[in-house]
Amino acid sequence: MFCSEKKLLEVERKVKANDREYNEKFQYADNRIHTSKYNILTFLPINLFEQFQRVANAYFLFLLILQLIPEISSLTWFTTIVPLVLVITMTAVKDATDDCFRHKSDNQVNNRQSEVLIDGKLQNEKWMNVKVGDIIKLENNQFVAADLLLLSSSEPHGLCYIETAELDGETNLKVRHALAVTSELGADISRLAKFDGPDTKLMQNSGKTKFKRTSIDRLMNTLVLWIFGFLVCLGIILAIGNSIWEKQVGDQFRSFLFWKEGEKNSVFSGFLTFWSYIIILNTVVPISLYVSVEVIRLGHSYFINWDRKMYYSGKATPAEARTTTLNEELGQIEYVFSDKTGTLTQNIMTFKKCSINGRIYGEVQDDLGRKTDITKKKEPVDFSVNSQAERTFQFFDHNLMEAIKLGDPKVHEFLRLLALCHTVMSEENSAGQLIYQVQSPDEGALVTAARNFGFTFKSRTPETITIEELGTLVTYQLLAFLDFNNIRKRMSVIVRNPKGQIKLYSKGADTILFEKLHPSNEDLLTLTSDHLSEFAGEGLRTLAIAYRDLDDKYFKEWHKMLEDANTATDERDERIAGLYEEIERDLMLLGATAVEDKLQEGVIETVTSLSLANIKIWVLTGDKQETAINIGYACNMLTDDMNDVFIIAGNTAAEVREELRKAKENLFGQNRSFSNGHVVFEKKQQLELASVVEETITGDYALVINGHSLAHALESDVKNDLLELACMCKTVVCCRVTPLQKAQVVELVKKYRNAVTLAIGDGANDVSMIKSAHIGVGISGQEGLQAVLASDYSFAQFRYLQRLLLVHGRWSYFRMCKFLCYFFYKNFAFTLVHFWFGFFCGFSAQTVYDQWFITLFNIVYTSLPVLAMGIFDQDVNDQNSMDYPQLYQPGQQNLLFNKRKFLICMAHGIYTSLALFFIPYGAFYNAAGEDGQHLADYQSFAVTMATSLVIVVSVQIALDTSYWTVVNHVFIWGSIATYFSILFTMHSNGIFAIFPNQFPFVGNARHSLTQKCIWLVILLTTVASVMPVVAFRFLKVDLFPTLSDQLRQRQKAQKKARPLHSRRPQTRRSSSRRSGYAFAHQEGYGELITSGKNMRAKNLPPTSGLEKTLYNSTSWIENLCKKTTDTVSSFSQDKTVKL
Amino acid sequence: MPQMKRTPQDCPSRLPENTAVKQQQLPACRLQLSATGILSGFFATGVFCLGMGVILILSAKSSMEIEINYTKICASCAKLRENARNFDKECTCSIPFHLTQTMRGNVYMYYKLYGFYQNLHGYLLSRSNSQLLGTDVKDVETCAPFSKSHDGTPIAPCGAIANSLFNDTIILSYKLNSSVHIQVPMLRSGITWWTDKYIKFRNPSSSNLSSAFAGTTKPPSWPKPVYELDENDPGNNGFLNDDFIVWMRTAAFPTFKKLYRRLSRTQHFIEGLPAGNYSFNVSYNFPVTRFQGEKSVVLSTLTWSGGHSLFLGLAYTVTGAMTWLAAFSMMAVHLKLKGKRFSPDDKVKL
Repeated sequence: MFCSEKKLLEVERKVKANDREYNEKFQYADNRIHTSKYNILTFLPINLFEQFQRVANAYFLFLLILQLIPEISSLTWFTTIVPLVLVITMTAVKDATDDCFRHKSDNQVNNRQSEVLIDGKLQNEKWMNVKVGDIIKLENNQFVAADLLLLSSSEPHGLCYIETAELDGETNLKVRHALAVTSELGADISRLAKFDGPDTKLMQNSGKTKFKRTSIDRLMNTLVLWIFGFLVCLGIILAIGNSIWEKQVGDQFRSFLFWKEGEKNSVFSGFLTFWSYIIILNTVVPISLYVSVEVIRLGHSYFINWDRKMYYSGKATPAEARTTTLNEELGQIEYVFSDKTGTLTQNIMTFKKCSINGRIYGEVQDDLGRKTDITKKKEPVDFSVNSQAERTFQFFDHNLMEAIKLGDPKVHEFLRLLALCHTVMSEENSAGQLIYQVQSPDEGALVTAARNFGFTFKSRTPETITIEELGTLVTYQLLAFLDFNNIRKRMSVIVRNPKGQIKLYSKGADTILFEKLHPSNEDLLTLTSDHLSEFAGEGLRTLAIAYRDLDDKYFKEWHKMLEDANTATDERDERIAGLYEEIERDLMLLGATAVEDKLQEGVIETVTSLSLANIKIWVLTGDKQETAINIGYACNMLTDDMNDVFIIAGNTAAEVREELRKAKENLFGQNRSFSNGHVVFEKKQQLELASVVEETITGDYALVINGHSLAHALESDVKNDLLELACMCKTVVCCRVTPLQKAQVVELVKKYRNAVTLAIGDGANDVSMIKSAHIGVGISGQEGLQAVLASDYSFAQFRYLQRLLLVHGRWSYFRMCKFLCYFFYKNFAFTLVHFWFGFFCGFSAQTVYDQWFITLFNIVYTSLPVLAMGIFDQDVNDQNSMDYPQLYQPGQQNLLFNKRKFLICMAHGIYTSLALFFIPYGAFYNAAGEDGQHLADYQSFAVTMATSLVIVVSVQIALDTSYWTVVNHVFIWGSIATYFSILFTMHSNGIFAIFPNQFPFVGNARHSLTQKCIWLVILLTTVASVMPVVAFRFLKVDLFPTLSDQLRQRQKAQKKARPLHSRRPQTRRSSSRRSGYAFAHQEGYGELITSGKNMRAKNLPPTSGLEKTLYNSTSWIENLCKKTTDTVSSFSQDKTVKL
Repeated sequence: MPQMKRTPQDCPSRLPENTAVKQQQLPACRLQLSATGILSGFFATGVFCLGMGVILILSAKSSMEIEINYTKICASCAKLRENARNFDKECTCSIPFHLTQTMRGNVYMYYKLYGFYQNLHGYLLSRSNSQLLGTDVKDVETCAPFSKSHDGTPIAPCGAIANSLFNDTIILSYKLNSSVHIQVPMLRSGITWWTDKYIKFRNPSSSNLSSAFAGTTKPPSWPKPVYELDENDPGNNGFLNDDFIVWMRTAAFPTFKKLYRRLSRTQHFIEGLPAGNYSFNVSYNFPVTRFQGEKSVVLSTLTWSGGHSLFLGLAYTVTGAMTWLAAFSMMAVHLKLKGKRFSPDDKVKL
């Protein structure tokens, strides 16, 4: 936030604090947030402009204009304008409501109050009126809606703590420090507004939301182009036909009619005919297609919103489909990119188990003494005696409490260590409750555990730590603080207890700490090591705990050397590190702790089920490699059954390349030995064969790659290696990645694998990934909103992803595909009869049907049944969808609607149109009515055709609908009934008397539909068009049944069939995989503590601390600043920081 | 910390309602047809189609139809009519024919035109329904290019359809014996749809028909104005003329027949048309040769399903046969696979 100015476009911004006049000269943007698109005046023009930018709308506008040209108008204008107006109005209303909400939320943010220094006085000002250069006073727990520069704060040394929950979802406080020059200025927190409104980092980085399209959308666009091509071909055929006909027949016929005006050039006539037919045949892609698709998606979105099984009662959060246009894509996901913290894990650490002096505590045993998992039946340890106890802490092993009561010195020492060796800050809230400010939640868990067992950390000063040991206050002198860093992987404190003993307490990664132990610990070491393996096997984060008694003299010498080293100018760090090494040896092992990084509920089941559905899950996290791997194991993404886990952790491009190559060779090598051990591949061949091999890879592999390596691996020449390797692995874990890298990984897979991707995350650091994936899912119900705001779908728990994909996604895809198949079929059948009729009407662009029928066919007569199918249809029920994740695979393979399917639908439609046209044609040719009257008049023919068409497509939809709800019944029967009632109304005497020119079909329905002959024709047409389809489907199901076919059969055969349980028990991992200090620790806090910077003045000893602080303040501030910049700049979105 | 946490108590309404629609649990029957169901459906459909086909063929065979193409027979008249200037010259032509069998029942007389495109887009539009309804005789807006005469008088009835009215007169005479020819009594009533005659076509209301059409002129090809079509029968005059109404109901295909007269079953013709010698006396006005068309007269009896057309019967028979064929092959496939199946009860879903 402060050290990253260079990132901006402006090279420099010079702002005079509290001088509005001066600052106004630069015309900085104001602080008003605009996310809305329209206001009342601009709505109509902008919205219409936007709508007509959509190809479909523009196309229909073009058609409308064509229809207004009398020479080529083959359809009256209302056939196009009615649906077009309908569509445009619907979209406009939707856009308007959307924008209303945006206005509302903008207003809410803009009208938040802030205190600004104006004219020397603090005045309340709305955030939107804050100007660049204003000095703002912030109080505790206020929202910040601009990028600010911290000038000073009420905390000592100008520190302030900010919460970035809205940015990254992390709720722990982060320290920000005022500039040294300004920090002494004033009380409370004052900040200078630096960038306002659209210039804030958040707004700058949020970018324009990309318009996401589904692959079905893209396919549809291709198909629509194909269809236009097809139309043009038909148009040309008919135009040529018209030219020929005009030449051979038309001329003579016209002259017979004395049709002088009709005498025209046959080629020109053909040209006009072409356009006329384009108008007539455009109903193959009617505008209602686009509307229906939107309506269906909207329906599916509502089903997601309404799903009680995706409602999280803990946070009262229902699932929400924020984008309503992507649903069917949910049924085609191949890759899931998941964030870790807050998504897979709850970001809650709980102290689960410990091993003290070779004995495990925390294991729950049943009556027979067997180990069991913690169950609800077991009573938790009662901490009510301890007034300081944290309520939420639960521990189920009473033995530890007993050991404490018995006064086991090792146990006491263990807990004392936990209470002393940490970087936690304490404070008392208004109710007198002890509150811990923790820098890493893991540490908090340990300190809280110690607190509950009676070793309460009370307070600290730079030189003392006060704890309450089983009711007595004890103050320890803090002699030295050996801080954590990534190389040391441990931290230690050296304290002097009231008795005068000096002790070094150390906690750290077992691998490191075990090397530092005193040889006498050997037995304990093996025992503890076993315990650690056991803990690690359960996916717990472990730490080893050790202490050392120090000799007074020895310590003094050492401390002197340390002070020398501290003041040294050259090789300071190295010398200090050496001294730390020196004193942290001959440690006595106390035991180990196991902290659980609590997974979100149901993560394991979800992961297992999704991987059964052939969805690959990649974890992209900002966490450390150890933590990430740990979680990978905890949620079953990594298992010990895996053939290999490749870890790429190189620091240079060359290293990374080498590691990738090696991993690949390893993989291919193993694989080759599976398939054909004798063949030795040349390197080149191997690359060529890679894609082939990929399909045949046996065995499970996993890839772990860290951020540094990833940066190199994403370079162009290694990219493909990475991608190939990663895609062959079952699980990929990327740790220490920046938000940008998250997005890059997603883009990489999107671009080169052509796969549908889904990104799920909860924090602002996931926003870029959420935006770049095909589908972005945000975890809602958290405090941060950024991820949710950027997402397409949001729900409160990771486990709902299973239902979202396997049930909603699958159904959406299934329904959409069925809908499209039917829709294209229907419109081909409907439209192509005009083509056939062209050959019998001199290619004169005469429609077969009544104009009203053409207008209403797609929007009234046949829209609702297919909509009902598109919204309600189910092939198998939700339970089966969940139980058989394999059902998801047709979506991934794009099987239900693709170009081939489209051609089949088209052929089906063409066949139906042939039957529809030629059966009545044959029957009408030379026929007479029952009363002897001629039958083959144009109007009767039109009515017969229309009626057959409506009946045929209704029968077809009835066959296609596999899930007949009341709605389907109502819509299908209702549509037929509507057709007949509208038909009879429009052919009635009354309406003809009013509009004789618009409704010339008077009496037609009555006459035609009372003829037996006509009904025989309709019946025959229906049978002829439907029977082949039924036969074809019967054979298909019989010969090549799909999984869902088989499921349905089985379902029918044994109604109560219980699903196979696909859930695997959580595999325990064996030893060897212990997390080395997998704590979310940051370096530098030790310095903060010993310097006393982060402590309130009242806690400070009168003088010494302050002097010391001033003495070396610059160095650590720089240090901290450097570190925080690393982290901060990685969060590209920094705006609404909560204080 | 500000109170950001939402507790369930705060907003209980966020829990989606537990209704069948919202939870996608609507009671529904899954359309699952068993193999036996489908196969028996196919066999039944096949039986029905075959049966219907046979019935239709038999009944079509039972009806009689005679068609006499007189385009070439009356060659001289055709020749005369090829020149439009000879429109006022009368030309009659007699076409004798022999009826070997009595045509029992109602006999209908049609004229049939070949190659006459009544379904051209421009032709179809060229009429004015509101004029024909008699409300506004001068409403000729939609009749281009026959809306007004050269001097701007609206044409009644306007439009290309009316202008091209079929105007041959055909009289059927029966040779009772070698010398006596009697005219077969024919009815012109009942050849139009009731709605056409009584709803769609009305004469403009006026005491006198010719005055009702004042201010309009006859179509260019017509020899006489519309109010002189049948001066004997006011119910058949003007727009209400049956032949005119029949003509105005345009045909769907370039080959079509239109009902001209029906037999009045009186005297000798109570049973129908007895076998014997007949002749058509045609007053040849309609110049089909100009567009290479043809015309003929058709005499036909009817059956329950309408006219003498074999198509529907044949189509039903073929469809029935195909359905049976499909059913047999499906059954063969199914039975062959059934042995291999695990599930004894094969259910197939469409």
